[in-house]
Amino acid sequence: MVDSAKVLAAGEPRGVARLLSVTGGRVTRRIRVDRLARRLVTLGGVAIIFSILAIIFVIAAEVYPLLKKPTASLVGTVAARPDSAPLAAGVDEYREIAYLVTGAGVQFVGVKDGAPIAPSPLAGLKGATVVGTSPPRRGPFAVGLSDGRVIPAEVKFSVSFPEGGRRVVPELLVGDPIAADPGKRPITRLAHVVTPAGPTTAAAVGPKEIVLLTVKETKALIGPSTKEASSQRLPLPIKGEIATLSLDGRGEDLFVGTSSGQVLRVDLRDPSDPKVAGAVAATNRPGAGVSVMGFLIGDRTLVVGDTLGGVSSWQLLQADGGERRLTKVYDFMPHAGAVVAFAPSSRDKGFITADASGVTLLRYGTTGETLLTIKGEGERFEGVVLAPKADGVIAVDAAGRLSQWVLDNPHPESTLKSLFGKVWYEGYAAPEYVWQSTGGTDDFEAKFSLSPLIFGTLKGTLYALLFAIPLALLGALYASQFMHPTLKGIVKPTVEIMAALPSVVLGFLAGLWLAPLVEKVVPGLFLMPIVTTLLILIAVFCWRFAPVGVRRRVRAGTEVWLLIPIVILGGWISFQLGGVVEHLLLSGDYRGWLLNALGLTYDQRNSMVVGFAMGFAVIPIIFTIAEDSLANVPPHLVAGSLALGATRWQTALRIVLPTASPGIFSAIMIGFGRAVGETMIVLMATGNTPVMDWSIFNGFRALSANIAVELPEAPEGGTLFRVLFLAAFLLFVMTFLLNTIAELVRLKLRRRYRYL
Amino acid sequence: MATRAEMAVEELRGEVSVRASGEGQRGYNRGVPGDTGVQGQAGEARTRMEPMIEIRKLNLKYGEKLALEDISLDILKHKVTAFIGPSGCGKSTLLRCLNRLNDLVDGVTITGTIRIGGTDINDPNLEITELRKRVGMVFQKSNPFPKTIYDNVAYGPRIQGLPPRLAMDEIVERSLKGAALWGEVRDRLQESALSLSGGQQQRLCIARAIAVEPEILLMDEPCSALDPIATAKIEELMAQLKKQYTIVIVTHNMQQAARVSDYTAFLYLGALIEYNLTKQIFVNPSKKQTEDYITGRFG
Repeated sequence: MVDSAKVLAAGEPRGVARLLSVTGGRVTRRIRVDRLARRLVTLGGVAIIFSILAIIFVIAAEVYPLLKKPTASLVGTVAARPDSAPLAAGVDEYREIAYLVTGAGVQFVGVKDGAPIAPSPLAGLKGATVVGTSPPRRGPFAVGLSDGRVIPAEVKFSVSFPEGGRRVVPELLVGDPIAADPGKRPITRLAHVVTPAGPTTAAAVGPKEIVLLTVKETKALIGPSTKEASSQRLPLPIKGEIATLSLDGRGEDLFVGTSSGQVLRVDLRDPSDPKVAGAVAATNRPGAGVSVMGFLIGDRTLVVGDTLGGVSSWQLLQADGGERRLTKVYDFMPHAGAVVAFAPSSRDKGFITADASGVTLLRYGTTGETLLTIKGEGERFEGVVLAPKADGVIAVDAAGRLSQWVLDNPHPESTLKSLFGKVWYEGYAAPEYVWQSTGGTDDFEAKFSLSPLIFGTLKGTLYALLFAIPLALLGALYASQFMHPTLKGIVKPTVEIMAALPSVVLGFLAGLWLAPLVEKVVPGLFLMPIVTTLLILIAVFCWRFAPVGVRRRVRAGTEVWLLIPIVILGGWISFQLGGVVEHLLLSGDYRGWLLNALGLTYDQRNSMVVGFAMGFAVIPIIFTIAEDSLANVPPHLVAGSLALGATRWQTALRIVLPTASPGIFSAIMIGFGRAVGETMIVLMATGNTPVMDWSIFNGFRALSANIAVELPEAPEGGTLFRVLFLAAFLLFVMTFLLNTIAELVRLKLRRRYRYL
Repeated sequence: MATRAEMAVEELRGEVSVRASGEGQRGYNRGVPGDTGVQGQAGEARTRMEPMIEIRKLNLKYGEKLALEDISLDILKHKVTAFIGPSGCGKSTLLRCLNRLNDLVDGVTITGTIRIGGTDINDPNLEITELRKRVGMVFQKSNPFPKTIYDNVAYGPRIQGLPPRLAMDEIVERSLKGAALWGEVRDRLQESALSLSGGQQQRLCIARAIAVEPEILLMDEPCSALDPIATAKIEELMAQLKKQYTIVIVTHNMQQAARVSDYTAFLYLGALIEYNLTKQIFVNPSKKQTEDYITGRFG
């Protein structure tokens, strides 16, 4: 085109130019139209590629923060100049005001400059000094005094926004002092918890002895409420000395860490009779003692740090006998030296531990992974604080200097391990693949394992294809090779119309109509393939003995009409037989039999129903493409085979099927892709339970259905939101890979049969 | 080229002179077989002259359209019989009647009888695969299966029931030798048949056809898609094959008919115009239409 245009423009040689000029106008118009068409086509192709890339980019951009490594940046170090070495520290949720527990009580300081803020004295000190404190994490804590008393206290921050600015005002609430040790020994180690029934405090009063202080408040409707305080001394059978104490949030168990590396559990469920309920060796390093201990949010996972740097997490799990045992869940990456401080997050299962050399590690309790190392300047921290929003770390050293880091760690719960691997969740007996994105409480441990969903997608696809491929392929083979053309002219469009059914209609029918129906006739359903096949074989056998006159009357390719009553009869017999079989062999109730004999439970909405419904959606695609490729096998090959004395069936199997294999392969692959991406049917016809079980009698949850179910409720930008995008990305990758492989194989096969 | 045709004619001279029986209006529709002429021959000649295929009053309709009209002819054993005629005269249709490949076409009705070796092939109780085993066919366009050379040849015997591997090797070698292809492919039996050249593919199809040991070989314009060298090879091969097989060939190419065939049938508009010794047809046709056709006045 371009060349001829040039010739036209140049106008030489003259003869040619004159000849062309007769039709010149038309020629240039044709060239113009041709060029326009080519540009339009190119534009369309480029636009498609661009939009697909844009979709991938958008999805990947949403997914990226999930797998980004967390970072911490040092804001600065300020000197707070407390009156003595701080025992513990805390901070408000905006990281404006920190408080230090010191010898004189509680001291508030500004985080930015370390300046002291309105001193709030601890009432009732009476000349004693604070020598110990329970971890001031979420709400109430207690301090131990040098004269053997304990004072419960609580720090509260009230936030107001006057004139557009933010004002945080700290407040210290102080309870009545309780005399814990009549011997007036200083209380350095104690644990404190407030339960709905009242506060419980445990304090170490000797190397091997603790005092349990409980206050029971009974609130009467009329009249004054009464407080009943009790105190119990409890000697402990331990080696070494008490190193640290920890109470769970329900006040049910007290854990005692010892200098010999043991963790002892004291069962407090009956407050009047505390029992020592066993001890475990919390560290496997010889010579190590427990140095810090504490619960993660939810009070189910106990983190134990030892004097040699080991950090491990533990859970109380019910053993077979119903007895609860402390079980180790994870060993975390160890510190180089003794663990001196621990702080849990109040948002998720993350926590930080610090060692004597000033290294702070950010960990995640669900996965057992260490996410980040924060290096201090070599000083020893007395306390570390994970800010309430888990967006900052504050460490305080013996000289009272505060170091602040800003933490960028929006999705600590999602790592490759938690998304695809087995994870040991709280309350589980062993590591498992679990998807459970939301729960009822704030301390819920989100379980984001995509494995059950990928499994569900593959399971649904497998059962759908198991149902669809034989039917569609055999149907296509029959329609293309044996069926009468007139009949095929009716059957093929009918099957193709099946593809036009919206999948939400199919899912609705499958879930509400088919599932209850199937439930009634399961044994008959399983008999049907056998009975119907047998019946058809018998019928075909009998047909051979039919007189020639009768046989000739049936036109070749329309025998299928004769089979329809036989298939219907087969179905009827199967359902009748099913009842009989269920009564005789399955003790009258197939569900009971399944459970007892095979250990399978029957759910009404199960994979079988999905297989039928999704198979119904996939059959038209596979059938049409396969039929086309089978019908396109060159007729001279068929004739060649028949001329050699092959039967039509031999020809179909040995010549037609292999020759059409590229088309059949892509038919199956496209059907596969459709089943993988199918959403509404799996959403409506399964129970959407994310279990990993191949049983055909229970449901599953597919990636696509999961997105449809959960995306409307996922907060934008949250971990769940991004994990759902990751699921979408996986679906995209799966179908992309499938289609690419299908196309490559098809091209290769086609190249092989090019010369036909 | 001409010499070979002459040779064919020469060969015919040694045999009995055959005349088309009957001179009447439709007499030319009766086929060759010399009734009286054959009688005088020696025993060997007699068996060679016995009709392999007897076609009597064959009519074939595609729906309402009459494609073959009242055809009667005998095809002799171990001879090459050529069907010639202009396009659409029904020669291929007639050929396909002989192995009932027309069954594949919808709406075909056939009346009249065709006997092969005395058996009526349109008998509904006849096992059609048995018939096709006895009547092999080579098509206009070479149609090797998309399999290896070996598997192509072995296909026929295999579908009849698998002989043991050794026997199969023997069958494949013998068939390829029979089709004069063995020398060219002996080292590449496991290569795809589609890698062969057009002439080789056509000879492979012949090998495939003779692997099931048929008695009759139908050839539907086997050389029309081939170059002259490949054509010459196939023609040479046919001269070899007729010692063992009865060959019926449809050809557009009158020189080819003259070169390779012993008998020639000229069909025109679905009717058999003339059937006689090839020499007779080409040297001294008895019908004006035949003469017009072979001299190239139409067709």
